[in-house]
Formats: sequence, structure tokens, C-alpha cells
Amino acid sequence: MLQQSPLFHRVDLLARRFVPFCLTLLLMLFALAPTRIPGMSHITPMYSLAAVYFWSIYRPDLIGYGTCLAIGLLDDALTGAPIGCSSLLLLVCHQVVLHQQKFFNAKPFGIFWIAFALLAFGASILKWLCVGLFAQGGFTGIGDMLASAVFTAALYPVIAWILAQAQLKLLAAP
Amino acid sequence: MRQATGQISRLGTLKSLLQRFAFLALVGLTFALMLIGKADTVLVERARIAITDAVTPILRIMSEPASGIASFVSNIRELAAIRRENQSLREANARLMQWQAAAQRLDSENRDLRGLMAVVPEPTSHFVTARVVADTGGAFAQSVIVNAGSSDGVAKGQVVMNGEGLVGRVIQVGVKSARVLLITDINSRLPVRVGDSSARAIMGGDNGTRPRLMYLSEKSAVSAGDKVVTSGDADAFPMGLPVGQVVRVGDGLAEVEPYMAGDKLQYVRIFDFGLANTVAGTTSATTPVTTPPATTPPAQPAKPAAPPATAAAQ
Repeated sequence: MLQQSPLFHRVDLLARRFVPFCLTLLLMLFALAPTRIPGMSHITPMYSLAAVYFWSIYRPDLIGYGTCLAIGLLDDALTGAPIGCSSLLLLVCHQVVLHQQKFFNAKPFGIFWIAFALLAFGASILKWLCVGLFAQGGFTGIGDMLASAVFTAALYPVIAWILAQAQLKLLAAP
Repeated sequence: MRQATGQISRLGTLKSLLQRFAFLALVGLTFALMLIGKADTVLVERARIAITDAVTPILRIMSEPASGIASFVSNIRELAAIRRENQSLREANARLMQWQAAAQRLDSENRDLRGLMAVVPEPTSHFVTARVVADTGGAFAQSVIVNAGSSDGVAKGQVVMNGEGLVGRVIQVGVKSARVLLITDINSRLPVRVGDSSARAIMGGDNGTRPRLMYLSEKSAVSAGDKVVTSGDADAFPMGLPVGQVVRVGDGLAEVEPYMAGDKLQYVRIFDFGLANTVAGTTSATTPVTTPPATTPPAQPAKPAAPPATAAAQ
């Protein structure tokens, strides 16, 4: 009865629209949780980048520039990075995937993975540049940023699997 | 029919143009924000504090599983080494009992001598214990967020320690949260004394795990194994707080292994030592400030070592 009501339908649709945003936000916050593993904080994976990449490929209708901007701003405010730096990364990632939609069409997962590794590599260099130019400390060694990119790329299948499960469970047609 | 198709095509082009314009506008906005942040306006700082404050309860919940897993792993490790650890603790206990006797004797002697010299006592310190809820360190910064803020008496510039030694200083304070800049951060500059010779130096972080000693007053007097403590210069930190140990000396630079392990921080103590440069604070957490403390009398003799080294021991 309730499920048939237009109000429920509307709320349901709205909630579904926010699933990618909420999951990306959750992954971004997860990156901040203290792991207590020595050396881990230096190479924290860019979970939010992986999430934006995933949703931009599979559900571009549910993730937009606003999500990229908001998640990035929150990330920077919490990590102490120059405000706007992570937003730029996520926006560029989203735009690259949108621009290459034909390339991403019906490709095997391996191709997505390699493309993401390249994107993560580019994103880490872009972040290193932004932080070097706009943060108080200036330029630092790029080694940790690249290690973070490698770690992010290595974890992508796991992140993609979790997000795919969420997509199947939460975003499948009612 | 053809007219309708044309309209749809035109709409598509318009949408694509708008999309591209929106992307470029937002990219421009991010650069503008980075530039505003570079100018270090109060507005950006306030926004950071407000966001950190709002998100801290969520971060606290999210840090629970990590904390649980860490405790579990450490319990397993402790179980495996319990016999060996028991033996070493017995030995340590015997050694410490001797030190306790020595400390009690020195304490009483110190009190007597202070009475004789009419030394103005150091202001008493008090602290709040806070939990690290987010490790915001990365390749470009080394800081943590703790779940205590101005409502708990935390103020900008206060000294943060754990059981092992000095952790850093508070650089940002919200109502229920605060950001602590670790001594390993690239912006950290800490006046220290090294070894028995008490050679003065500035310990500067480099975002790595081992900060370096700069402007060493006596280079030859420093060797690996020397203990590093705060010098109390600039009155930003009290004197004698344990910082770390020199691990490598060579080619005009010395590396320090801090006692605190930045990656393993779980609980920290935020001390209010009542220092002149604490509340006023500085934008950079450990920038030395040269103004003399208002509370220090001009004729004060050598400043006694502050009690925190013992107070901070967990």
C-alpha cells in the first residue's frame, strides 16, 4: 500500500539519487580513520577518486559536478590540504570519464582498471603540484604521492566490487 | 518530424555547451579557492573549523572499528610475548624503584633549595585527554584531529603529548574538536636542546618520520643516541619535554627519531602550561616567538625543568 503511494515513490527516487554521493562521502571519511599502521598515513589511498571514477562510468546520471565539488571541499577542509585541490581532482576525473564515454563503453574490467591506474597517477601529480603551489610548506618529495596512487590503483578492484554490490542492492530498479 | 529532430539536436548541443561551461567555471572556482586559502584568510580558517567540528562525531564513530582492530592485534601480539615482557617488566620495575628513591631524594632536596633561593614556582599545568579521531596526515601534511575543543578548555597553541613524549601543538580549535600539528610536519619548528652538552638547535619536520636538527649550536657535540628535549626558548614550549633521540648524524645534518609514533596515536593529552605564547598562538604551530613571557620576573634565576615530563607519563 505504502509502496504504491506517489509520496513513497518520490522519496525512494530521491534516496536513490543520493546513494552515490553518500557512498563517496563515506569512503572519503573512511580514508581519514586512523589505521595505526606504521607509514600508512603517508600513502592513504584516494578512495573518493576511485568512487567518483566508478560512478562516472556506471551511473553518470547520479553523480555530477556538484558532488565532486562538495566531496572535494569537505576532504580538503578535513585534511588541511589547500581548499579546492581535491575538488579539482575529482572534477577532472569526472570530466575525463564523461568525455571518454565511447571508450569506456562495454569494455572488460581490466581496461577500466588500467585507465583508473593512469588517472590516479595523473591525479597524484596534479595534487602534488597544487599542494606545492598553494600549501604553506611548499613542494615536498613526490614519492609518497606516487605510492598513494599505486596503492589506490591496487585497491580499485575491491572498491569497485563494494560499489557494484551497493549499485545492485540499492540502485536496481524497484 | 525533421523540425523536432533539429530541436532535439540543438538542445543536446546547448546542454553539452552548458556542461562544458559549468566544468570550466567550477575548475576556475577551485583555483580561486586555493588562491584565497593561500592568502590565509580568516574565512577559510573558520570554514575549516566549522566543518571539522560538524564532522568530528562521525569521524569518532568511524575511528572505532580501526581502534578495535588495532587493540585486537596488539592483544594478540602481547599474548605471544607475555612471558618475555613479564621478565623485562620485572627488570624495569627493579630499575625504576631505584630511580624512584633517587627522585624522591632529589625532589625533597629540590624543594629545600627552592625554599632557600626563593624561586618563583612554575605555573601548574593541567591537561585534557582526547582521542585521535582522524589521521589527516598525508604526503603533504602531518596532523591529527582530536575530539576535544574549546568547550573542554583547549586553546590554540597548547602543547600535546602522549605517554612517550611530545606530539605537537594545537593549531585549530573548534567547539568540540581541535587539529594538532605533529612535530614531524613540514611547518613544525621546535626549539630543542640535544644531549648532555645541551647544544641548542631547531628541530624541523619534513613530513617524514624523522625530523632534522637545524642551526645546531655545537655540531661536533651531537652524536647518535643523544636525547632531544624542548629548550623552552621563545616560551612556546616548557623546558625539558621529551622529544626524541638522535639516530643519525652526518654531513651537517642530524636526524631525530621522535618518541611518539605519529601513526599509532590513539589518546593524547593536551596541556595548558599557562605559557604566554599559548593562547595568543601563532598561525604556524611551532614558530618560535621571541617576546618574553609576561609572567616571568626579570630577576628570575635559571628556569627549573617543568613537571610535565612526569605528569605526561601515562
